[in-house]
Amino acid sequence: MAENAKQAAEGMDARWYRTLGSGIWAFLNSLKLTIFILIALAATSIFGTAIEQNAPLQKYIAEYGETWGNLIIYTNLDNMYYSWWFRGLILFLAVNIVVCTLERFPPKWKSLLEHKQERFDPKLIEKFAHHETLSIGASPEAVRDRLLQVLRKKRFGTVSSGGGDEFFIYAWKGRIGRLGSDMTHISLLLILLGALVGSVYGYRDSIFMNVGNTVKFSNESFMLRLDKFWIDYYDTGHIRQYNSLLTIIEDGKEVMQKQIWVNEPLDYKGLKFYQANYGLSWNKLEEAQLTFRHKVKEGTEVSFPVKWNTATDVPNSKYSVKVIGYTADFAYDEEDNLVYSKSENPNNPAIKIEVYEGEKLVSSPWLFLNYPGIFPAIPDSDHDFVYTGHKGTWFSGLQYSKDPGTNIVWVGSAVMGIGFIMAFFIYHRRVWIHIKGGGQSTEMKIGGTINKNTFAFERDIREITESVSSN
Amino acid sequence: MILSLVFFTFAFIFYILTTTAYAGYWVFRKKWLGQIATAMACIALGATTMVLISRAGESGHGPFSNLWESMVLFIWATNAGYLLMEYRYKFKAIGAIVMSIVTLAMLSASLLPYRFKDVEPLNPALQSKWKWMTSLLSRWDLQNYAIGWLDFHVVTTFIGYAAFAISFGLAILYLLKNRYESRQQRVKLLEAIPDSKVLDEMSYRAIAWGFPFLAVGIVSGAIWANYAWGGYWSWDPKETWSLITWFIYAAYLHARVTRGWRGKRAAYLSILGFAAVVFLYWGVSFILPGLHAYA
Repeated sequence: MAENAKQAAEGMDARWYRTLGSGIWAFLNSLKLTIFILIALAATSIFGTAIEQNAPLQKYIAEYGETWGNLIIYTNLDNMYYSWWFRGLILFLAVNIVVCTLERFPPKWKSLLEHKQERFDPKLIEKFAHHETLSIGASPEAVRDRLLQVLRKKRFGTVSSGGGDEFFIYAWKGRIGRLGSDMTHISLLLILLGALVGSVYGYRDSIFMNVGNTVKFSNESFMLRLDKFWIDYYDTGHIRQYNSLLTIIEDGKEVMQKQIWVNEPLDYKGLKFYQANYGLSWNKLEEAQLTFRHKVKEGTEVSFPVKWNTATDVPNSKYSVKVIGYTADFAYDEEDNLVYSKSENPNNPAIKIEVYEGEKLVSSPWLFLNYPGIFPAIPDSDHDFVYTGHKGTWFSGLQYSKDPGTNIVWVGSAVMGIGFIMAFFIYHRRVWIHIKGGGQSTEMKIGGTINKNTFAFERDIREITESVSSN
Repeated sequence: MILSLVFFTFAFIFYILTTTAYAGYWVFRKKWLGQIATAMACIALGATTMVLISRAGESGHGPFSNLWESMVLFIWATNAGYLLMEYRYKFKAIGAIVMSIVTLAMLSASLLPYRFKDVEPLNPALQSKWKWMTSLLSRWDLQNYAIGWLDFHVVTTFIGYAAFAISFGLAILYLLKNRYESRQQRVKLLEAIPDSKVLDEMSYRAIAWGFPFLAVGIVSGAIWANYAWGGYWSWDPKETWSLITWFIYAAYLHARVTRGWRGKRAAYLSILGFAAVVFLYWGVSFILPGLHAYA
C-alpha cells in the first residue's frame, strides 16, 4: 500500500512538473509571443530616444519633476538599452527563437528530405488552392514526356511513376528556401552573441591630445603619440577632412605610423583609434606675441613672437623670456593654489612666462590678454611685458575602442543576408500531376503548393498547362 | 541657376499629371487613361533620374547628402518600384494611391527651406569611398566616380523606404476594399482595384522586398559607423528608430504566418510600420538630435 501511494505521489509530481513544463514550453514556442516581444521591443525603444540617455541624475529631477524624474531613474529609463528589463526582453526573444527552432526545425528538415511522392491519390490534387483539370488531345505518354521536359526546363526536380494510360508526376523546386527563416533566426542569435561578447570584453573611451603628446593606455602594452594634426579645406573654404598623424610606440620602438581621418581609423592589436574631434588647445600655444616696453616713456614698445617653451632674447635688452603655460579660460582655485581652465573656449586667455636675466630666473608671472599690465611682469623694474596675442595649436580628439565581438556580428550579418535571400526570394514549390488516358483525349490534373508568393505559383501553373495544351 | 532644381520642377508637374491620370483611370476605367498614366509615370521617372544625375554633376558626389537629395531618391525608388509592380501584376488603379504618396513627397521636398536643398561638398564624416574601388577606377583615371558606404547605405535604406511606402498604399486600399467585401456590398468605385486577397498578398510582397533592404541598410550603416564613429552601434536616435521600424515589420512577417493575423491586422501593422518610417526619416531628423547630420 505504502509503495503504491508513493508511486502515485511520484506520478502526481511528475505530472504536475510535466504540465507546468509543457505549459512553459508551449508558451515559449508560440508565434504570438514573438509578435508580442517584437512590438514590446519597438514600443519601449521609443522611450530611450525621447528621454536623454546617461545624463546626470539631477537633470531628470530638474526636467521631469520629483515624481517622474524618480520614476525614470528607478526604472532605468536613463540608461534603458543597458537596463536589466530591456536586456531581459532581448533574452526572452532569444529563448523564443531557440525554442521555436528546436520545435520546428527537425520535422521540417525531415519532411524536406523525405518529400518525394511517387504515387498519390489523385483526389489530393483537387484539395489544393491552386489546381486545374485539362483535357488534352494527345496520348498519356506524350503528355507525360512533354510535362517532364517543361518541368526540367523550369528547373524543377521530378519523379514520375505509372504506366499504360495512367501516370503520376511529382515535381519540386526551391526546397532550400524553407531554411531561410532558420538561417535568419540563427543569424540573430549570432549578432546577439557578438553584442554580448562586446559588452563583456570591449570598451570605448576618448582622449584629447596636443601635438607632440604621448599617451599610455592602462590595459595595453603600447603608447600612442600624436605627431601632427591638420585640416584640409575645399576651394570653397568648407572643411574637407580632419587628419591626425599617429605613431604607436611599443618597447621603446616606433612600430607603426599612420595618418587617420574621419572614416579611416588606426587599428593596432584590436584597439582602434578614430578621429572624433579637434579644436584649439586650451593648455598649449604654438607661440605668443609679447610687447616689451618702458612703463612711462612713450614710443619704446618692441613687439616680438615667443615660441612655446623656447627661451627667446628680448630685443635691445638684457632679458630673455620663455612661455611655459597657457590657459584659454583662466581660473584660480585658492584652496588648492591651482590654475585651471574653466572651459576650452578662449574667454580669458592667460600665459605664464619666465623672465631671465642672463642665466638667472628673475620672475615667472601670469599675463592676461584681456587685462594688459595689471600685474607687473618684472618686480622692481621700470620695464614690463605685455601679452598682445598668440597663435594657437590644435588638439586632436581621438576616440578609441576595442570590441572583440564585432567580427561575430559581421558573421551574423552575412548569415542574415544569405537567410534573407533564401527566405524571401527562393520559394518552395511542389506540384502534383495525374495523367489518365481515356479514348480520344487525355485528362490531366495539376495542383500544388508554394510557401510564399502565390502569384509566382499561379504563373508557373499557367505556363505548365499552356505548354502542354499548345501541343 | 541650378539645373537639378529645374528638372525637379519639371518632374513635379509630371507627378501631378501622373496622379491625375491614375485617379481618372480608377474612376472611369478607360484603357487609354491607364496607358497615359503609365506613360506619364515613365516620363516622371526619367525626370527624377535627371534630377539625381544633374545633382551628382553639380555637387561632385553621389546625390545622397542632404534631406532634399534623399527625398528625390525616395521618390525615384518609389516610382521605379511601382512601375515594376505594375509591369508584373498589371493592376493600374493602385497607381492612384502610390503616385499620390509620391506627389505628396514631391510637395514636401519642394517646401523644404533652401539650406536643405543646397549643393554642398561632402563633410568629413560622409567621405567614405571604398578604397578598393577608388584604386580600381584610378587605372582609367575615373577615381572620382568611385562610390562608398554613403552611397550604398543610403540607396539600400531608401529602396526599403520605397517598398514600405508602396506596401502602406496597398494596405490602405486593402482596408477600403475589405470593408465593402465583408459587407458583401458592391461599390462601383472600388471595382477598378483588385480583390482584397490580392492586395494583401501584394502588400506583403512589397514588405518582403523592403524588410531585407532595410536590414542591409542598417548593417551597412553599422559597418560604416565602425569606421567613422568608433563602434558599430551607439543607440543614436536614427539607429534606434531604424531598429524600431525593423521590429514592427518583423512582427508583420511573423503575423502573416500566424493564423488570424493575416489581412486586417497585417494591414494595420503595415500602416504602423510606415508611420515609423516617416518618423525615422523626418521626425528623427527634425526632433531628435543625434549623430546623423542630415536625413
